[in-house]
Amino acid sequence: MNAVQRFIRSRVLLLTSAILIVAMCMSVFIQSQSQAALNRTVDENSRGLYDILVQAKGSKDGKAMIQPEIATGQGGISFDQLEKIRALSGTSVAAPISLVSRVIQNLEAPKLNAMDYLGYNSGLAGGATAGDPTGTDAKKWPAPESVLPEKATKYRLTATAVSSDGVSEQTLFKTSAEGTLGKAKVVEQTTAGGKSIRITGPDGETGIKFPSPAGGSDHNLFNLSVSLPMAPEVTESVVAVDPAAERALLGSAGDFLAPLEKAPPADARNAGAIGRYFEELFTKAPTEQELEEGPDFLGVKLKYWAPLMTQYQQAKLAGQLTDDSQAIPLIVRKGTSLDLKYSVKIEEIDDSGKVVKDIGTVSRSLDKDYLPFVSRSPFTLEWPGSTDHSQLLGNTGNFSQGLYQPAQWSTDFAAAPKYKDGETAANGSLNKSATPGEWVTVNRLPEKSLLGEPVDQTQRQPADERSYRESLATGNTPAAPLPMVYGTFDPAEVQAAAGDVNKLPLGGYDPAPMTLEKDAGGKDTDKGLKPSLSATGLVSQSAGAITDYYGLAAARGYDSNANVIDAVRVRADASGNWKQAQPEVEKLAAEIRAMGLEATVVAGSAREDVSIFVPGYSKDDAGKESALGTVAQSWVRQDAADAVSGSLTGTNITLLFLTLCGATLLTAASTVSYIRQRRNQAGILRAMGWTQGRIRRWVLEEFGIGASVLAVAGLALSLLSWNLGTVIVSVSVLVIYCAAAYIAALMLRHRHEVDQEPQHDERLLPVDSALSFAYRQVVTNRFNSAALAVAVGVFGAAVGALIALLIDIPRAAGASALSGLAAASVALPSVIMAITGVLVGLLLTLVTARFELQAKRQYLSTLEAMGWNPDMLGHVRFFENALVGTVAVILGVLGALALGLILAPYAALWAALAGLLAVICWIPIATKVVK
Amino acid sequence: MTENLHNDPHAALEAVQASAGDPLQTRANTIVKAADHATPLELSRITIRYGGDKGGAEPVTVVEDFSLTLHAGEMHCVAGRSGSGKTSILTVGAGLTLPTAGRVLWEGQSLETMGDDEIADRRRALIGYVDQGGALIDGMSALENVLLPAVPDGEVEQRTEMAKDLLDLVGLGRRMRHRPAQLSGGERQRVAIARALILGTRVLVVDEPTASLDRASANKIIGILKDTSTDGIAVLVASHDHELVRLSDTLTELN
Repeated sequence: MNAVQRFIRSRVLLLTSAILIVAMCMSVFIQSQSQAALNRTVDENSRGLYDILVQAKGSKDGKAMIQPEIATGQGGISFDQLEKIRALSGTSVAAPISLVSRVIQNLEAPKLNAMDYLGYNSGLAGGATAGDPTGTDAKKWPAPESVLPEKATKYRLTATAVSSDGVSEQTLFKTSAEGTLGKAKVVEQTTAGGKSIRITGPDGETGIKFPSPAGGSDHNLFNLSVSLPMAPEVTESVVAVDPAAERALLGSAGDFLAPLEKAPPADARNAGAIGRYFEELFTKAPTEQELEEGPDFLGVKLKYWAPLMTQYQQAKLAGQLTDDSQAIPLIVRKGTSLDLKYSVKIEEIDDSGKVVKDIGTVSRSLDKDYLPFVSRSPFTLEWPGSTDHSQLLGNTGNFSQGLYQPAQWSTDFAAAPKYKDGETAANGSLNKSATPGEWVTVNRLPEKSLLGEPVDQTQRQPADERSYRESLATGNTPAAPLPMVYGTFDPAEVQAAAGDVNKLPLGGYDPAPMTLEKDAGGKDTDKGLKPSLSATGLVSQSAGAITDYYGLAAARGYDSNANVIDAVRVRADASGNWKQAQPEVEKLAAEIRAMGLEATVVAGSAREDVSIFVPGYSKDDAGKESALGTVAQSWVRQDAADAVSGSLTGTNITLLFLTLCGATLLTAASTVSYIRQRRNQAGILRAMGWTQGRIRRWVLEEFGIGASVLAVAGLALSLLSWNLGTVIVSVSVLVIYCAAAYIAALMLRHRHEVDQEPQHDERLLPVDSALSFAYRQVVTNRFNSAALAVAVGVFGAAVGALIALLIDIPRAAGASALSGLAAASVALPSVIMAITGVLVGLLLTLVTARFELQAKRQYLSTLEAMGWNPDMLGHVRFFENALVGTVAVILGVLGALALGLILAPYAALWAALAGLLAVICWIPIATKVVK
Repeated sequence: MTENLHNDPHAALEAVQASAGDPLQTRANTIVKAADHATPLELSRITIRYGGDKGGAEPVTVVEDFSLTLHAGEMHCVAGRSGSGKTSILTVGAGLTLPTAGRVLWEGQSLETMGDDEIADRRRALIGYVDQGGALIDGMSALENVLLPAVPDGEVEQRTEMAKDLLDLVGLGRRMRHRPAQLSGGERQRVAIARALILGTRVLVVDEPTASLDRASANKIIGILKDTSTDGIAVLVASHDHELVRLSDTLTELN
């Protein structure tokens, strides 16, 4: 019988080789699938809206994390350089962005309207709707009504403004005013040339007047209007983009920029000329439709024409309008994330000031209705119970919309916050801490009102806010610009266009929100932070408006080629996923760097949350500072694709290696255990005159067949997968198998000493129970028991290590958004591979245990013949395996712990636990098999 | 008393049998307290058939319609050539396998009415089975092997002296600490007989006790078996040893 026949007839060798080959094939197949899924996921999700972020030299600190605030106002890139980038071969889009200016604006004085509709009076001269086709027919007017009493009644109004940063609230002022109000009436009076009517309050009405700059109260046909204290000022920023390039970058989400493309060129933006054009326009009695949609200005319907007119007139009156003043085209952001709540409490009081009746409290927050530069004016609060009937007059086309006060434009704005690197977390995510700057006092009233009157400063409660940004005083002080609002945009839609996984910062108009994760005491929390009033705090104030590059020049007063561009976002003219575009992107980046600029390749990156500790955030009345806690903000991890791919590929290969090496070690244990059975044959051959070497060769020939089969399988798999990992694993499997074969052959050597047990050993336990019987059997067959225990221990260690690797996948993948997707793509194949490994391991331990089966069956039937009942026989079987398991569990747990510490330190304890469970589970399974 | 027993093997055997009425009597022994049943083992028209296997082997009937009544103190020999069914009859009689047809009665009670646990308990009290070749457990001394049947009832300590006496009885008093690997075939067989008698068995079932033994060793075994039956224990032995056949009280010769 030749070696091949002997190999086939020796079912154990055939079986273990077959198991090993099947395990190799399945593992390599699953690993290949997993790797393909991983590569696909990474490649498809790691190219964003642009590929290269260009900044001035020295802007980037060389770290792998890019903070979202790339529009910093620091400039550094000139218009010429921008044109050179655009001229580079392979550039598809080069979209510049820059922070233009800081704009401080007072919300116009709010009003409290009390419905005081006197009723339609046909005797009124002119009739409110006479000649107005959009007005209501007189027959349909409702009955007169008013929420005010007939007689003048004393009220106290208490106005309050509260701001919140998402963590704590701050009362910015609380001001009260008292006076009498009542229902107005129409008084007819005789004047020269005829009769006239006027609207007047009831006898004794004093009205209610808050301190300057607020006014008093005033009746008209429909309302009693009380001027409330001026709301706190809000700071906005303006971002400049190239509308055409920005639209190309954003796709349809950038369509809101279309009107900006129609803005007049810089030399046609003289503020005075444009203001006069509008004045002239309104001398021609515009139609109602024109007033509603806005007059046509060079092809753009200027819906928000009222602010322009108001500010032009005020600037002209105040002498702020010069020959150099420019009009700035703006696209204005809808809504705000700044939380400012304004409320008025209304109480009816008696002469002594005692409250007679609580009328109610009305309030309003800055929210999506708030539009910087064109805020819905007046900022009106409604008296409780009143109904607005002003629409009965029809569309008056009034001028009430818009700012009452021009915004103050300032180039003294704040840069991006400064951060210091902290520790790196287990999954590679960065911890940082913010660097606190000076304290900034906010919420102060202007020294004088518009009419030049001194302002009562006691109406406001100044508040100190911590600045985390450097203040940048840049450029010349330009003439006050005239804002010309072309339209609005929704920042949420812009953010959505940037995607989720590879969300690259677009610039100042898509601020990355910050979430407070832990408070100062380290307690978990989940609160979104809101921008502060000063815009120098940690959370950036979303850009109030976007302008174009001529607007930038107008606001900052630079010449035509100043280095005013903060960043240029470049998309390479290469289609496909990140890997396909990578060569072109790298080439383009190198060319940009050659221009003396910083070019950061952001294709292949992904967003990642950064934990930032914020010290010195607030102070109490005693001036003691306290930290805010830890906030999280989405930054960008450069090279995330390569990192994720490399890390998970490593995990994949390790899983494969572990599965196959575990299976090979178990095969080795099984082989060594099996060779004990061959000793009898070796003895017969020796008796026939065979030498020791000849016997060894005789056995090795059989193992050689197994090794050849394994080598062929390994070669085939390596060629199919074309993967270095598979080659390494295949070679490792072969080496372990050959080593086990050699050791097994060595064990066939002739032993001259008689294998005798000691005649009497007092250390042995007396056999008086199933447990002591099992113990005696394990001790008697200690070689095979030890071999089995080692096999089970290896099994436990391998299971532990596999579990540790599975648990470790999310950590190994990293903390970026891409990591989650990539980890999910490899999770299922990895679990399948781990389960395969566990099953193969279990099968091989059972094969190892099988060599003892015949002997076990023999003595179990002897015991049965003696009258041992099935329960006791079951106990014997269980205790034997439990004793082997007791030894194995030590090996398994320690092995799993060691492998866990090497492969995945953060899951080492889980590995040990899994190893323990694997061995414990093996005991009943093996017991069942023996039965 | 012990010393006397050591000197007189028959007295030792009687003492072992008498222990059936001792306070340490186990549950199993209590069940068969009316021990002196006249026919401790009866095989009634049994048929033993082994089915074919997947390899194509034909089913074979080794015993057909076989009956046997074994009385206390009787030594019955089942003789016949190899493969004639001797061992099959013994394993069926010892309740280790069930017959294809027919009934096995232990002291008048059919095994069909018993569960596995009850058969095991009854076998322990009633039947001592000696396998061909002795079937001792490796790694355990002769004394420990003899005491193994006492383990289920927790009587190892109480039975130790008896075990020693029985080993004396079979002539192995000086080898009680030896392991099976250190004993000859005949010695192993005698240890197995001592083990079969440790619980005061009433039926001794012995399979080919003298096979592959020299004449002197075989005669020793035959003497022990004969003495055992003389002391009132029913002995069912399978053998083709002429001396054993000659000394048996009754004989069944299988074709």
